[in-house]
Amino acid sequence: MPVNSPMSSRQHQFEALVRGHSTDLYRYAYWLCGQDALAQDLVQDTFLRAWRALDKLREVGAVKAWLITILRREHARLFERKAMPSDDIDDFDLPDPQATPEHRTEESALRAAIGRLEAKYREPLVLQVIGGFSCAEIADQLGLGEAAVMTQLFRARQKLKGQLGFEDQSAGVSEL
Amino acid sequence: MNCLEFRRRLGSEPASTLDSFIAHRAECFGCAAAHSRADEFEARLRRAVSVAVPVNLADRILLAQTTELRQGLRKRRRGFSTLILAAAASIVVAVLALQRPSQQMPALAAMVDAHLHKHVVTASEAQSEVARQDVIDTFAQRGVSLAAVPDGVNFVHKCPAGPYKTVHMVMPQEGIPVSVVYVVDAPPQSRVEFSRDGTYGREVPMGKGTLVMLAASSNGFDSIENAWKSAMDAGVAQNREVKTLFAAKSLPGAASWDWRTRVAAP
Repeated sequence: MPVNSPMSSRQHQFEALVRGHSTDLYRYAYWLCGQDALAQDLVQDTFLRAWRALDKLREVGAVKAWLITILRREHARLFERKAMPSDDIDDFDLPDPQATPEHRTEESALRAAIGRLEAKYREPLVLQVIGGFSCAEIADQLGLGEAAVMTQLFRARQKLKGQLGFEDQSAGVSEL
Repeated sequence: MNCLEFRRRLGSEPASTLDSFIAHRAECFGCAAAHSRADEFEARLRRAVSVAVPVNLADRILLAQTTELRQGLRKRRRGFSTLILAAAASIVVAVLALQRPSQQMPALAAMVDAHLHKHVVTASEAQSEVARQDVIDTFAQRGVSLAAVPDGVNFVHKCPAGPYKTVHMVMPQEGIPVSVVYVVDAPPQSRVEFSRDGTYGREVPMGKGTLVMLAASSNGFDSIENAWKSAMDAGVAQNREVKTLFAAKSLPGAASWDWRTRVAAP
């Protein structure tokens, strides 16, 4: 569905994009950089770039992948400028007022475990869990082969379960 | 898809929608149970990665976007206004440049100027207005017929200027002496205004020659030019009566002018 339209419609479309995707984009940005303020900046910069390039978007169905691509590029630019640390993020304890104390403890542990994952495992996992992308789509996003992405995702889950003592339903499938 | 393939896929893409994945889950009890456990883990994972989003994030992004939009429009407007101003300024500069006297004195005027420096007219020589007949006679000796003479010619003389023949006059205007030289045989060129080292000048094609004016100020040039144009036109229309335009009268205060410093003349 083409996104070429007059100014008012363009603005309306942009607002819909922001309201529909800013939450997922913020969470993805957060897991990418590990800092709340930086993640907010990344999301804002991403949407501003998206606004300027909105005419280039041809398919609304691909908008999430498009926004993720912009955000990854923004993060890469930032990383180039400031050499931001992206591994071993320790600062993942954002308060979640809706969570129960039990859940909060479990989630905190899981968040910490995700934060300890190497970036090559964490990024595809977050893309899959937050974005709902398939292995093929993630491979396309990251410029990797689908098999490689499958391996990374498999290992990411194994590592998390191993750290948290969860039963591994794929026991016996050590390698792909 | 067999159990091994199913578990591999389950470990990497639990929400897979592959037909073979769904079919195996439906037919294999063990893999279906593993899938259920995987679903529980995925739910925990989703909760864990779903960090709290800052309040009003979308509103703040939209505010930033509309602010940028407004700034962009303002910049474009400012840019457009700047272009208009620049264009207007260019026109003004061009007009001023056209109106501004050239810093270069034309060759003919330079010859006249050189002659004026050699042949200085003293104040006593140009103290009062000369007889109109003297002006007519001088022009006649240069082959130019005048039926009328402008008011205020205080000095008249036949002079050479380089290779040219001229009639040299002094016509005070508003207290400032103006050297007025009619170059009889200089072919008419375009009208030129110039200024150099405190001397203002104007060359005006007139009749078959050129009228050159030099003075410390260009204030009187227009009236002298108009008067001589009328005189020349009257000369062409030989017997035409010119009564009111050229009334003879002397200018007050002419004796106090410093001729030597203000203007050089024959």
